[in-house]
Amino acid sequence: MTAQATYLYAVIRPLPRGALDDLTGISGARVRTVERDGIGCVVSTVSLTEFGERELAANLNELTWLERVAREHDAVVRAAAQLTTTAPLRMATVCRDDAAALAKLAELGDRTRAVLQRLDGRIEWGVKAFAVTRPAPVPAAAGAVSGADYLRRRKQESTERQQADAAAAEQAAAVYAALADESVAGCRHRAQDRQLTGVEEPMLLNAAFLVEHSSAQRFANAVDELAARYPALRLERTGPWPPYSFASLDPS
Amino acid sequence: MTELAERPAAAAESAPASLVDLLDRLLGTGVVLAGDVTISLAGVDLVQVRLQALISTVREESAR
Repeated sequence: MTAQATYLYAVIRPLPRGALDDLTGISGARVRTVERDGIGCVVSTVSLTEFGERELAANLNELTWLERVAREHDAVVRAAAQLTTTAPLRMATVCRDDAAALAKLAELGDRTRAVLQRLDGRIEWGVKAFAVTRPAPVPAAAGAVSGADYLRRRKQESTERQQADAAAAEQAAAVYAALADESVAGCRHRAQDRQLTGVEEPMLLNAAFLVEHSSAQRFANAVDELAARYPALRLERTGPWPPYSFASLDPS
Repeated sequence: MTELAERPAAAAESAPASLVDLLDRLLGTGVVLAGDVTISLAGVDLVQVRLQALISTVREESAR
C-alpha cells in the first residue's frame, strides 16, 4: 500500500456535511472537510510518492507539476470561498494524517478564529500598475552634429527619462495609497519580472486589497478613476481572488 | 514563456488567473502551518524556501 498524507487547502467556517463532495482536489483526490471546535479545514489525501520530502523537492523543480498543483489548489480554495469564509493555507501544507491536521489547528486556536473574522464578507482584488511605454525619442535631424552637441542631447534625454521614471513611481505610490483608503487592507507583492509577465512595460506596483463584497463596484470605480487621473500608468485589475494575501495568522 | 503572458485588462475578470499572479499568492501568502506535523524533515518552511528559490531562479534566468 502506498503511504499517504493529508494535504490542507484552507481553514474555513464549517460547512454542512458533504458540501464539497463533488469537488476533486490535487491529483484527482476527493476533497473532504474536517472540523474541530467550530473551525473547519478543507483537505484531501495525497500520496507520499508525490508529496514525500524527496519527491516533493523534485516535483517543485518541474514547472508543469508546479502549475498543475497550484491550479488544483486554487480551484479547491475558490470553491470553498464561494460557500463560506475561507482562509487559504500556503501551498504544499501537508500533515501526516487528518488527526495531525486537526491537532495543529487546535493548537492555533483563537488565531484561526481571528483570521476568519477578519475575512468574513470580504474578497481580494489585485491591482498592478505598469509604466506606459514612452515613445522613442525623435531621431536627430539629418546632418552633421558635433560631438559636444551629441553628448549634451544624450545627457538631456537621460535626465528626462529619469524624471519620467520618478514621476511614474510616485504616481504608482499614490495609486496604492488611494486604493488602501478604499479598502479594508492593502498589501504589496514584489513587482513581477517582465519576462514572466510577458509585458514589455515595467511593473511599478503589484498590490492586493481586501475589499468588502458589497464594495466591489465602488472599488472597481476607484481603480477606473485612478487610471483616468494617471495616464502615465496602465492599471490592471485582477480578481476577485480568495483572500490569499490577507490570510495571515500574524497580520501586521 | 508565452503561456505565462498576462491577459488583457478587459478580460481579467473572466480569464483564468495568470500563473505568476497565482504563485505570488500561493507561495508568498496564506496561513502558514509550520511545525512538527509536516511530513517533510524541516517542515513547510523548507518547502517555501525551495519554491521561492525556484521562482527566483526563473526570474534571474529570464532577466538575462
